[in-house]
Amino acid sequence: MRVPLSWLREYVDVQLSPEQLAERLTLLGMEVQGIERWGADWRSVVVGELLTVEKHPYADRLQLTTVTVGSGEPLHIVCGAHNIAPGQRVPVALPGAVLPGDRRIERTEKMGIASEGMLCSGDELHITSDAEGILILPPATALGRDLSELYGDVVLDVDVKPNRGDALCLVGLAREVAAATSATIRWPEIAVEEAGGPVSDHLKVEVREPELCTRFVGRWVSGAKIGPSPDWAQMRLQAAGMRPVSNVVDASNYVMLELGKPTHTFNGAAVHDGTIIVRRATAGERVETLDHVERELTTDTLIIADPRGPIGIAGIMGGFDSEITNATTEIAIESAVFDPVSIRRTGHRYALRSEASLRFEKGQEFRLARIGADRVAQLTLAWAGGALSKGRVDTAPTEPPSARLAFRPARVSRLLGAEISVDEQRSLLRRVGVETEPAPSGARIQVSAAPQPLVVDPGAEQALVAVVPTWRRDLAIEADLAEEIARVRGYETTPAHLPDTLMPAYRPSPLLVREVIRATLAGAGLSEVVTHALVSPLDEARLLWPEDESEPALPASLAAQTGDEIAVTNPLSVEHSVLRRHLAASLLDVLSLNERQGRPDVAIFEIGKRYARVDGRPREWTRLAVLLTGAAEPAAWNRAARPYDLDDAKGVLELLYRRVGMPEPSYVPDPRGFPFHPGRALLARAESGGEAVAGRVAELHPDAVAAWDLRAQRVIVAEVAIAGLDVAGPMRVHVEPIPRFPEVERDLAVIVAESRSAVEVRRTIERHGGVLLRRVRLFDLYRGAPLAAGEKSLAYRLVLGARDRTLTEAEVEGAIEAARKGLQKELGAHLRT
Amino acid sequence: MDFESLSGDLHRLKDLALAEVAKAADPAALDQLQIKYLGKKGEITAVLRGIGALPPHDRPRVGAVANDIGEAVKTALAERGFELRSIVQAQRLAAEMVDVTLPGRTVPRGTLHPIPETVAAIAEVFGQFGFVVYEGPEVEDDLTNFQMLNIALDHPARDLWDTLYVDVPGHLLRTHTSPGQIRVMQSTRPPIRALLPGRCFRYEAVDASHGFEFFQVEGLMVDEGTSMADLKGLLDEFAHALFGPRRTRFRPGYYPFTEPSVAFDVECVVCGGVGCPACSKSGWMTILGAGMVHPVVLQYGGIDPELYQGFAFGMGVERISNLRHAVPDLRYYLENDLRFLEQFR
Ligand SMILES: [Zn+2]
Repeated sequence: MRVPLSWLREYVDVQLSPEQLAERLTLLGMEVQGIERWGADWRSVVVGELLTVEKHPYADRLQLTTVTVGSGEPLHIVCGAHNIAPGQRVPVALPGAVLPGDRRIERTEKMGIASEGMLCSGDELHITSDAEGILILPPATALGRDLSELYGDVVLDVDVKPNRGDALCLVGLAREVAAATSATIRWPEIAVEEAGGPVSDHLKVEVREPELCTRFVGRWVSGAKIGPSPDWAQMRLQAAGMRPVSNVVDASNYVMLELGKPTHTFNGAAVHDGTIIVRRATAGERVETLDHVERELTTDTLIIADPRGPIGIAGIMGGFDSEITNATTEIAIESAVFDPVSIRRTGHRYALRSEASLRFEKGQEFRLARIGADRVAQLTLAWAGGALSKGRVDTAPTEPPSARLAFRPARVSRLLGAEISVDEQRSLLRRVGVETEPAPSGARIQVSAAPQPLVVDPGAEQALVAVVPTWRRDLAIEADLAEEIARVRGYETTPAHLPDTLMPAYRPSPLLVREVIRATLAGAGLSEVVTHALVSPLDEARLLWPEDESEPALPASLAAQTGDEIAVTNPLSVEHSVLRRHLAASLLDVLSLNERQGRPDVAIFEIGKRYARVDGRPREWTRLAVLLTGAAEPAAWNRAARPYDLDDAKGVLELLYRRVGMPEPSYVPDPRGFPFHPGRALLARAESGGEAVAGRVAELHPDAVAAWDLRAQRVIVAEVAIAGLDVAGPMRVHVEPIPRFPEVERDLAVIVAESRSAVEVRRTIERHGGVLLRRVRLFDLYRGAPLAAGEKSLAYRLVLGARDRTLTEAEVEGAIEAARKGLQKELGAHLRT
Repeated sequence: MDFESLSGDLHRLKDLALAEVAKAADPAALDQLQIKYLGKKGEITAVLRGIGALPPHDRPRVGAVANDIGEAVKTALAERGFELRSIVQAQRLAAEMVDVTLPGRTVPRGTLHPIPETVAAIAEVFGQFGFVVYEGPEVEDDLTNFQMLNIALDHPARDLWDTLYVDVPGHLLRTHTSPGQIRVMQSTRPPIRALLPGRCFRYEAVDASHGFEFFQVEGLMVDEGTSMADLKGLLDEFAHALFGPRRTRFRPGYYPFTEPSVAFDVECVVCGGVGCPACSKSGWMTILGAGMVHPVVLQYGGIDPELYQGFAFGMGVERISNLRHAVPDLRYYLENDLRFLEQFR
């Protein structure tokens, strides 16, 4: 809301500087977001008096003038307007002047005659909307004065919160200024002179939807003359951000800004039979609104109609056919109260939000319907003349009394954590117009309102009754009064201390496992990224990442196998219109961006969510994704770069499993092909104490890399389900006593068919090695002569030991022999010696 | 064979051996000499083998001479060995000289993204005051995201949250972390001190200061006497922890789910309160919104507002991060340009 201070001062005295006032209002909850110097963009525009006005000798539409600005030689100025005459005082832009829009005025020549400046129209100065004529100033305006000194203003931009519809007007903000400064407020003098017959001679109103239009007040003015409103009024509207239109329309807008009461004025002659009907539209009805758009109405739209059909959408916008035009003489004034929800829905339905609907949506003070009608009538008479018919049409003339709200001062103090005496609370409330009185016996406290109303008996606690001003529709419960007391008193008076109450029980943080993983991976050289959860549906089609395995770390009920995509129904763009079902594509996007920046070596990870719909319900799982490409070790002065490969990703995975207290994962090849390299994809899994972690590691298929327009040779991607992992669980690590007896190492070289996987060989050794076998580690892999084609040799180092003795050679040999036999029997292996 | 001739042989051998040891050029040559003279088939040993031919009274004398000579050769071998090893080592060390001014081998070190880092920093501060972390769903239902937070379907304040809806009936992408308040209250009893970090979504076009995905941290404390003064004290500690000693202020704000509602400002981190473009010349920067939990919200959480009261606060993680790290553009966060991320190394 734009608040010209000169206008505000009409209702309240302001002693403070604009900056001080802005701070006080902000601290009262009316945040001033900007202070604008209105007129600061008129530079070197001064008041002049026309001495002579003559026809331009060479151009019919131009006039030659001489103008004095009080000192110096008279100026010769060529002017295109025709509303000027000698003796008038006018704004003169001197050579070198600057007008709004950074328009510079210089000495020029117009049709052969020099012009030493320019006479200004109201439009050129952004003071009025008149672009045709020169702005004629009052005769007493001081000659030579700078226009910005005379008409300049300071405009505050106030952010009025949605619950304070009452403050969306000058009077409302004047009330806040009064509360902040203890000044008194001056209500505008509203008095009308009625003449002619009763209003019922001209206007009948029938409200068919009293729920949606709780009050309709009508007034009628006959014989008005449409023209511009007074310059001062136009200036105020302009400064407040509203374009002046004509005297009658301006009167309506002026009242909206002054009192917060939207009204509408109709061309009375266009209201058929002088009858206004407030009803819902019928199917197929149409109306052309003031913005020249023909709109088809839905049956839940509340309209203003005459017996022939719609003449406006209630509370939103009037109809074109009943618009005030220059020929209009009969004025019908509508000042109504509409249901806020209905207005809001209608505004959304037609994508039409106006200054009026904005105010209706926030609810209206009931009595303003009457006051607003009178005020518009008063200004119409003053600015457009005519005669006001006697009385008002009023569909609900009984105005409800002020609401009474009981509260407990002790509860206010408890809520704020500050001891505020009863007397102080009463005087603070008085500053916002809330009078208080002792609560009668049986008074009940409104602790909570709809939709969860809670009313309690104050019991032995002292209670007061607050008499809530009719405009403060937001004050409904005890806590609302606490806020009034707090904000008027000023939050700087609220003490600050640390809570000294009971602490909650311990609860392990879900962030902990992520912190462990983040620290581990960053330490391993990977950089963390955070990407969008909303992705393009094309990403899935492009990458064809497989349906995810279950999330074994979660209880079975949450560990869904698959799920459908969840899509946004009102996306901003297709690129971000579905919730991702895996993270890999997001990391490819990051790689793509960095490749374009000349960064081909990328090692990144993200801990984020994937989303899917399972059995019709949305589900979310936290996952870890890793992407490695380019150089694992960049080239340096003394060595070549080493590219990332599958083993790096597996190493990262193994490190991670170790770090979260899981055993080393076992790998199963995943030969699915696209989007993976058919020979370089695997599933990893580890289990421990009822928890399991599943992951996938793969080098991307070259076609998948190409589909992402990447230059990278090899891209390794991993995704691991980490939802539900608990690294904080007590007793994660069990220490094995350090062996007191020496361990024995034996190497075993196993020759197997190429089709046998390393994990099979290792498992077989472990299974047959017996209790003395402590560890098995692969240390060599060999293919080629003297091995046959299709064979490979895997060399393992076996570590054996016992807790209570040094092993004998026979024991060691026995264990090795058992492993050897198992390998031969189960895998057809033979052993190299 | 007599003592004199045998002893003479031994002395000659000794001279010969010492001369050869002195000339030995490497440890291998020394090993050869060791074998040549002192080995089982060595020359000194061979001489001693002739000892049996001597008269018995001469035998100990020759034995003593032989021992002395053997010791002398051993000592010479050891000394020469030490000498040779020193030379070899000195040569190796000389050969191993490097240009120590060359740069070191880079230890790989990743970086941590500022959003989770900021969340961790916030959680650390409030964790010290007993706040425990909860998380709520990002695909939230309308009831919890709005209605239970006292934002009815046609509430004018709904305009404050432009919403992205999803094709799961009754659901939307949460517009704030505040629905977590309801979930925490429904799942636990006071005393409650909860912190709820997470991703949020709004229908908002992307520019330097807006995005449709962003992160928030919500706080909630509910107990019998939890007051605005507790909120103020706690937020002061928080601001000082994250932004250093600066002035702070409460000013009235508006949220449907708190009453009273406040905005929490800290002295501008750019100008220190003098006024600059970054703070719109006000000298203050708003870092979060807060207030006393609205009784309706407590009731939806299953908590009796007559017995309990509490406060809630919510802050934008990017906002906090921007102020701490002077990040000029919100888009940096989700774009993940390594030139940005690596500055946090
Ligand atoms: Zn500043």
